[in-house]
Amino acid sequence: MQQHTGGWKVIHQWLEGNEFKPFKFQEDAWKAYLQGKSGIVNAPTGFGKTFSLFLGVLIAWIDAHPKEYTRKTKNGLQLLWITPLRALAKDIARAMEAVLKELNIPWQVGIRSGDTSLAARAAQKKQMPEILLITPESLHLLLAQKEYPNLFKHLHTVVVDEWHELIGSKRGVMVELGLSRLKGLRKEQLKVWGISATIGNLDEALEVLLGPYHNDGLIIRAKLKKNIALKSVIPHEIENYPWAGHLGIKMLPQALPVIHDSQTTLIFTNTRSQSEIWYQALLKEDPMLAGALALHHGSIDMELRIWVEEALHNGILKAVVCTASLDLGVDFRPVDSVIQVGSPKGVARFLQRAGRSGHQPGAVSKIFFLPTHALELVEAAALKAAMEEELIESRMPVLLAYDVLLQYLMTLAVSDGFHAAEIWEEVRQTFCYQHITEDEWLWLLSFLTTGGEALGSYDEFRKVEREGDFFICRSRMMAMRHRLHIGTIVSDAMLKVKFMTGGYIGVIEESFISRLQPGDSFTLAGRNLEFTLIKDMTVLVRKSNSKRSIVPSYQGGRIPLSSNLGRMLRQKFNEALSGKSRDPELIALQPLFQLQESLSHIPKDNELLIEKINTKDGYHLFVYPFEGRLVHEVMAALLAYRLSLIQPITFSIAMNDYGFELLSDQPIPLTQENAKQLFTTDNLLIELQTSVNATEMARRKFRDIAVIAGLIFQGYPGKHKANRHLQSSASLLFNVFKDYDPQNLLLKQAFNEAFFYQMEEARLRETLERIAVSKIVITTPQRLTPFCFPIKVDSLRDTMTSEKLEDRIKKLITTND
Amino acid sequence: MQFIKTDSVVGEIFHFQQQHWHLLPQRAIFWEEEKTLIVSDMHLGKAAHFRKAGIAVPAGIEQEDLFRLQQLITRYLPQRIIIVGDMFHSTENNDVQYFRVWRQQFANIFINLVKGNHDIMPDEVYEQLQIQVNTTLTISGIHFIHEPCEDHNGFQYTFSGHFHPAFVMQGAGKQRLRLPCFYFGPHCGILPAFGHFTGSATLDPAADDPVFVIAGKSIIRAQ
Repeated sequence: MQQHTGGWKVIHQWLEGNEFKPFKFQEDAWKAYLQGKSGIVNAPTGFGKTFSLFLGVLIAWIDAHPKEYTRKTKNGLQLLWITPLRALAKDIARAMEAVLKELNIPWQVGIRSGDTSLAARAAQKKQMPEILLITPESLHLLLAQKEYPNLFKHLHTVVVDEWHELIGSKRGVMVELGLSRLKGLRKEQLKVWGISATIGNLDEALEVLLGPYHNDGLIIRAKLKKNIALKSVIPHEIENYPWAGHLGIKMLPQALPVIHDSQTTLIFTNTRSQSEIWYQALLKEDPMLAGALALHHGSIDMELRIWVEEALHNGILKAVVCTASLDLGVDFRPVDSVIQVGSPKGVARFLQRAGRSGHQPGAVSKIFFLPTHALELVEAAALKAAMEEELIESRMPVLLAYDVLLQYLMTLAVSDGFHAAEIWEEVRQTFCYQHITEDEWLWLLSFLTTGGEALGSYDEFRKVEREGDFFICRSRMMAMRHRLHIGTIVSDAMLKVKFMTGGYIGVIEESFISRLQPGDSFTLAGRNLEFTLIKDMTVLVRKSNSKRSIVPSYQGGRIPLSSNLGRMLRQKFNEALSGKSRDPELIALQPLFQLQESLSHIPKDNELLIEKINTKDGYHLFVYPFEGRLVHEVMAALLAYRLSLIQPITFSIAMNDYGFELLSDQPIPLTQENAKQLFTTDNLLIELQTSVNATEMARRKFRDIAVIAGLIFQGYPGKHKANRHLQSSASLLFNVFKDYDPQNLLLKQAFNEAFFYQMEEARLRETLERIAVSKIVITTPQRLTPFCFPIKVDSLRDTMTSEKLEDRIKKLITTND
Repeated sequence: MQFIKTDSVVGEIFHFQQQHWHLLPQRAIFWEEEKTLIVSDMHLGKAAHFRKAGIAVPAGIEQEDLFRLQQLITRYLPQRIIIVGDMFHSTENNDVQYFRVWRQQFANIFINLVKGNHDIMPDEVYEQLQIQVNTTLTISGIHFIHEPCEDHNGFQYTFSGHFHPAFVMQGAGKQRLRLPCFYFGPHCGILPAFGHFTGSATLDPAADDPVFVIAGKSIIRAQ
């Protein structure tokens, strides 16, 4: 029996000596690992999921070398541990090193990430450590090195940590591709394991990790449940016109008691700008917090972030204002409370954040929900219910990401070159590319060698050379540029921010800084800074004493409501209407509901509410499907398009997570009679494609794609100027591709992404089907209602038109005169 | 040979500074009195420059741009073409060779290039292409210089490029449109970029400066 192997005994003795008792899932994982299987370990954070695999590897090692495991060194890379966050790597390395030391195993644990020093990299190349912790980007960088297969000669296990975080993103695709190459190198000798929190589609997560053709993968589930106590902070005064513009600052005094009564509190905000504002406001409200309050988000200098994380460990901070940057599973033991500012928009994210407090097994995680506007209290009630029913969202894996594949092929081309037939077989075995066609593959290869359609003798495209079946990049310049480029999955160009006198502060979006004039002040990393000039991709600033400063708004900060939460939300509105609800959140909101009901209506589960309101801005149409911003954006475009078929009309479109608005300068021809027809699923796909927004959404998606595929050249560090002639914007590239090369696969990908991720076509269809069997209630309130107010004042806008461009302009001119 | 004006493309004749300026949706001006075609910021060879560096933007953009210029030439039969800077995007590449062939069709047309910040090729190259290069140019009191001037420079009027101007139009219902434009300031006018592989910058003109936007196939006075 496995239990009696030497390794198993050594580990058990060590555990007993430390008075640890392994959880059943850990023993199950060891068993499965020792049988040579691959799979996923599913466990909540704080229950030793790292050990479930790491100790398994050690058991196998001791079994294989029972006499000499305490002496054997320089064994080459045995275990590759992929983690999404650099910060996690350090923590895990520390834990592993402690165990190895106590067990007398002289293994090296190395870290490879963007932060790893050149010296450490060189040392690793000479002698790989037995365990290497690595980010997906750095794994690809290893594959971009000459003679990379040597590094993996002894590799037998890959663990992908926090797989749930990676699976829905292009970084997850990078992992899939990296694994496909490692499997190609090590064949059957490679075991692949994932570690994942609970998600709605865990079985699919296994398919993605191991590829659709695996046959022996298994999921080991820890049947452990985290105790979570959710408490809403209910405003002393409920405004009848909820507005998110102040980002919850008004509620700040009610957050202070939580901070004071806790040892350490994490304050989660949804965007980086919001975290900056909260940091400033907290210090203003309670100056005693100075020195004990810190700020943590993705744009802050790495060193400062690491300092904050260390300080969290040591318990010297009273509170940290943060964003998703602290979502992931590092253990900060002193943290005993979490405040969520504004809705987290999804159950899984909320659970994850709640789990940041009370990290010891069995402890209760305390999370306080602080609404930024009154209606969000309904979301709190919905979250509570969803948590009870364990309605956790799925993470949809990315399919056919041509951009990532192009980047990967270039990576292989700059290292040792690749044989197309071999790589084609490997790539087709991955989940992401299981449906790639041979034509598409050939297109990708020719895109690298001839730059798509070549135009005869005048063309000078140069990137990858083809020698029969073999593809290689021989230009050192291009290879260097590609290595610098790997992993840049940043959509907007980010500029470094530094003081004139030196000293690095963080990074900031170019689009934000380009709107500033020298002398303007803005906030970053909790400091007031005066913009002086931009030089070599660096923003130079000095300290500012200005009272008024602009807080940068960051792209990508807005997360849409998940469908699970949306469904719960509709249920809660239903309950609120019945007046029988016991949720304190809903009871507090009664005055607001009464106003909504008296001005308009509160929709029941089986109703769709539409409000038609006229103001001096024009004719408004508000629709409330409660399906999240993304679905609303598309539905709004679709409805606008269908209305525009009735008569030439132009709309401006706005939406939030509860509903959307069409605004026009002329009456909107929607009536009780034609309403159902306007929401039909008939001709859905065709009409979506026709609607102007498809192009605009694709344009937005194209930005990422162009960067990943290497079409946007971001310049070498510090060498920005010399390459100015190679700068172009993604939007411009999108235009020229659309006009001159409409068959381009990257363009096609942009449209696909727009359809399936941005438009959530499937979810839209479901929503329309729900509306088809619902009752449509149209009201004509005399003034703005509590429901429509947040959409009107606090949302994103877009345009949809069926008028001729020339007519629109003439109209704009007449209204301006 | 007879040329018939097609109704699909509509220019606008702007009477200004005692001259007739045909503002054309092909992003060019035809100066009637001088029989001169004026364009700016062609950035020829930009796509080729990118492709040479391994960035696969579509090939053929330059060919389309030159085809558009060719159509303008056959339509307006100019004696002279003035390019107000940034004719070629960068150093010499094969797109220059393409231009050389193209140029031979219109060997009798005089081409003036007013040097822009991108015009960095050696003088011989321009000579071979039969392009006269000057830092500024003045014809019948009208001055041409690449970068727009802030103040009055003593000439009757000045035309510039460099800026790639676009104009944002706003109206009821929070509608918003951003279009390339011709701008006529008090002393200095700015031409839209002729090349299609070029970005644009939003203009913020004084309320009484004439602005003409390029709306698809027509020119519309925006203010």
